[in-house]
Amino acid sequence: MENTNPFIRLTDVRKAFGGVRALKGVDLELRCGEIHCLAGENGCGKSTLIKVISGVYHPDRGTIEIEGAVVRNMKPIDAIRHGIQVIYQDFAVFPNMSVAENIGINRLLLEGEKLVNWKETRKRAIDAMAAIGANIDPDILLERLSVSNKQLVAICRALFNNARLIILDEPTTALTSREVDLLFNILRNLKDQGIAVMIVNHKMDEIFRIADRITILRNGEFISSGTRDEYNNARFSHDLTGRELMAVKYSPAPGDFPDETVFEVEKLTREGSFYDISFAVRRGDVFGITGLLGSGRGEIADAIFGLSPAESGTMHLNGELIDVQSIDDAMNQGIAYVPEDRLTQGLFLERSIQDNIMAASLPAYFSGLKLQTGKMNEDTDRWIRDIDIKTNSAEPPINTLSGGNQQKCVMAKWLNTKPKLLVLNGPTVGVDIGSKAEIHDLVRQLAAEGVGVIVISDDISELLENCNRIIVVHDGYIVGRVTNDVSETELLALLSRPGKESHENEVTD
Amino acid sequence: MRSVLKKSDSNVIALSFLIVVILIAMALFMPDRFYTMSNLRSIVFQFPEYGVLAFGVMACMISGGIDISLVGIANLSGVIAATIMLGMGKSNLSIVLGILAALATGLLAGLFNGSLIGFLRLPPMLVTLCGSQLYAGLALIITKGPALNDLPDNYKFIANGSIGQIPVVLFVFIAVLVFVYFVMNRTVFGRQVRFMGSNYEAARYSGINNLKTTLRCYAFSGLMGAISGILMSSHFNSAKSDYGTQYTLFSILIVVLGGVHPDGGRGRVAGVTLSIILLQFITQLFTFLRIDTNYRTSAYGFILISVLVITMISDKRRLRRMT
Amino acid sequence: MKTKSRISELLTSNQAVIIMVLLVLSIAIGLRNNAFVSFSTVVILARAAILMLIFALCQMLVIISGGIDVSFPAIACAAMYLPVKMMLNYEIDNLWFPFGMAILIGAFFGLINAVLIASLRIPPLIATLGMNSLISGGLLAFFGSTELSRLPDRLNEMFRSYLFTYTASSGLTYSLTILFIIPVVLAIGLSIFLRYTTMGRGVYAIGGNRSAARIAGFRVIRIQYFVYIFVGAVVGIGAMVSCILNRAASPTNLMGSEMMIIAAVVVGGTRITGGHGSVSGTILGVTLIALIQNNLIMLGIPTHWQPFILGFLIVLGTAFTSLKAMASMKQAKV
Repeated sequence: MENTNPFIRLTDVRKAFGGVRALKGVDLELRCGEIHCLAGENGCGKSTLIKVISGVYHPDRGTIEIEGAVVRNMKPIDAIRHGIQVIYQDFAVFPNMSVAENIGINRLLLEGEKLVNWKETRKRAIDAMAAIGANIDPDILLERLSVSNKQLVAICRALFNNARLIILDEPTTALTSREVDLLFNILRNLKDQGIAVMIVNHKMDEIFRIADRITILRNGEFISSGTRDEYNNARFSHDLTGRELMAVKYSPAPGDFPDETVFEVEKLTREGSFYDISFAVRRGDVFGITGLLGSGRGEIADAIFGLSPAESGTMHLNGELIDVQSIDDAMNQGIAYVPEDRLTQGLFLERSIQDNIMAASLPAYFSGLKLQTGKMNEDTDRWIRDIDIKTNSAEPPINTLSGGNQQKCVMAKWLNTKPKLLVLNGPTVGVDIGSKAEIHDLVRQLAAEGVGVIVISDDISELLENCNRIIVVHDGYIVGRVTNDVSETELLALLSRPGKESHENEVTD
Repeated sequence: MRSVLKKSDSNVIALSFLIVVILIAMALFMPDRFYTMSNLRSIVFQFPEYGVLAFGVMACMISGGIDISLVGIANLSGVIAATIMLGMGKSNLSIVLGILAALATGLLAGLFNGSLIGFLRLPPMLVTLCGSQLYAGLALIITKGPALNDLPDNYKFIANGSIGQIPVVLFVFIAVLVFVYFVMNRTVFGRQVRFMGSNYEAARYSGINNLKTTLRCYAFSGLMGAISGILMSSHFNSAKSDYGTQYTLFSILIVVLGGVHPDGGRGRVAGVTLSIILLQFITQLFTFLRIDTNYRTSAYGFILISVLVITMISDKRRLRRMT
Repeated sequence: MKTKSRISELLTSNQAVIIMVLLVLSIAIGLRNNAFVSFSTVVILARAAILMLIFALCQMLVIISGGIDVSFPAIACAAMYLPVKMMLNYEIDNLWFPFGMAILIGAFFGLINAVLIASLRIPPLIATLGMNSLISGGLLAFFGSTELSRLPDRLNEMFRSYLFTYTASSGLTYSLTILFIIPVVLAIGLSIFLRYTTMGRGVYAIGGNRSAARIAGFRVIRIQYFVYIFVGAVVGIGAMVSCILNRAASPTNLMGSEMMIIAAVVVGGTRITGGHGSVSGTILGVTLIALIQNNLIMLGIPTHWQPFILGFLIVLGTAFTSLKAMASMKQAKV
């Protein structure tokens, strides 16, 4: 039941904030009964576009047509009345309310009800969940649900509100592979009911699996739009990033280092997170760890940095046995960690660039009973120069910098501790293309200087380009070890290999 | 020298400006009353006891919390010092021991606050609200109600005595100020408090031990409470479980007026110090104009709210400029 | 399995724990003092808890919405003192005027709180702390601290209106004032409001996730205004009740009661961070604190120990509640 009626059509939509043009003329058409992927790197204007569609922002120019009629001055409540439902990344749910109430509450507001009929709300919530095959206890508090179940609740709520168009903002980032499958089945089901679905995403494999049509934005500009068949990996990647796929792959210069191990873990285990993890990072390596969300890739990093220590297994750094039970231990051993979520874990947004760069190495400047501020200024300036952070001075708060330059500051913060091992978790998430390349260069350069480097990422092309050796984890087990001469498809195939069995095979091999 | 004229110093500049305005106004309208030795001395005798308290609140607010138990800690410390001094016959040794015991009390009470906040992750507001009741209650148990009067002469000297024309308490305050400035700006701890208040998670991920920082921060604050308790009991020549209750509001007012952001992370010792001086001038002005204490309480409440309104509106503006 | 976990959840819920503590305490007091085990205790307790209940229910509403209000003692003092002063000055003597005025005065200050907290987004604790000094200082400055102890006749009559009078076997009589109806009506009204009205759910919604509430279509600011103005008005009523029960209007006598009230609310299972809380829990919390306050002497604890003991119990109670809240958040996800 292919349906080609456009539900909503945006033409030449422009939106600027102050002097920054977030949308520079975007066209978008979403049809009933299709799954549409809006793709673009972070900062391309995706979230602004969502807010325009949902009535939060008014476009400066351009028109919005819903079912053929031009809509002007749309407010959020009008968008909802038109059946537009956005499921944000944090789902905008109420942790302190029951599942049933979370599903039912918007409808009450929409209908202007003054009173709550609990029996009815509960019954209808159960029906809504049944409709998409979700089976969640309607009476428990939402704060007790897993991420994927929270998302299901958000989808049920959207359906319950008579959604005609459901927009999901990065719906798979926090899901395990099984949960992604479940979600995709539900979305296909919605599509069959004639609902328009738009997914905002930038993971190529997922987009090709689910999308009927694709629209790509870059830097607020409309780049291309078409059916899935019109795209292949190369075109998609080119449209997304604006450059040709594949630069030079990294490999350590031969002969620079004898076959020397910088960092080695053996049989690292943490119940419920990862099991029997063994690998060795040689000098000169950029060592990659990948896996789907929930595979344990992040937890391994957390264990190395002492955030949640491993329960058994050993770690050797430069040949010495080290015991990491806390962050303090890790830092004392010279381990540095660039965390995944830059905004909440990496940056002190209102503080100056200098403060941010100095945050992890303060004790080193404490001598003669006081902090040596002169030395701190000097070192900050040196880092700004050395890794080319684009700013006039170290004084302005760090939130005045772009994502890429912020990330460079986070790296400088750790490089300033003179680490022996640098663990980077998702180092280029939300970073513009230019800075991305610079960060990659920096990572390679560090490895070449002899620092042990581990990059954890779900960006397959990034890993293949920059890491010379990669391990793949799934369900907490290592399921594959490759070098960077495998193809993306081969590496992707490894991602969903069953964890425990593959691991056992590997051991017996 | 790049730290001399930062943008964030606009608050310091505004406060200095207000102080200068008051000083000039005084010179114009009541020079013979304001610029007298006795008046200047009376100013100096008053502000240290609550100024020290404000430094404690400052540290906690910068760390992202608040401490409203400080008056309780001050009274408990004062009562303990008084008990020891009176019990040991007012000897000089008893004074030393009393002061040390008071400081230890402040530290311990602060550590207690800090451990509830740090280990159990209870909200600072709740912990210190309960704490104020707890410490005042302990002080009451010791005194059984009435004030402990008639403290040793040498102890009274701390807050009432002078060397030449200069009150001793001014030296105490300056010593505390230097100590606070040093701790907040020249030690690792001082920076870590700011980092923690600015972004708790990022602090953890930068290897800052938030638990340790929290404990130290409230212990520091408790220490300030104890010093204030010593000054108060010395000044009044008496210790009791419920002296200085108006200082809770007053210290928060000072800190907010001094440019410490109630959400944590931002705030400077210089701003708070100027704010202490400014408020003492205003208080003195009220005294000259014979304004009743109740009007003052009301006025302080009004100033606090106005400052917050201004802070929040300028925050909003800045946010709008940025997006 | 499911029902079993439900039962264990029920038994360790705040309400259940408070009921158990109440029972243990009652038995302990009863063993020391046989007179405790009688209906008169209930009457005494009910009378003692009237004010606390009114204020605690108000505070609960504010805390659920994600705020806190430490200005209510000052608001109450203003709402008690000013109407009575006017009645005496202008020789007004009816019941509508004092209650009406008290409600108006309370609502007015509630409105100011709402402007500061909802519109200007000033942290509630500091905003209401400032309001507290502003109002209490102003009241004392303009009217002095003299208590008005000769109340208009109608208010005095009210003092002698009883719901019922109970005569114990000893011959002593215990009467419960008719004003007890006020907290009862308030409790029932609030329960219904919080449970069955869309706006009531909105109070929970903004306390649980403010931005989600806005996205869902709740008028967040309007709800906050409602909460603070409503609470102001009810605090006004509470103030008049206090005036009648104490047979005097004092500009100071409610000062400092905020600590006990907040403690009762938090011990009753309301999370200080907002979004959680119930009328029944708050009633139990108030009962517990009132019981302790009224019976520490019976347990042989000297008066000067009372603030400490109360403070200590409050620390325990709040720590317990907060830890439970944290545990429930960390609980295994389903």
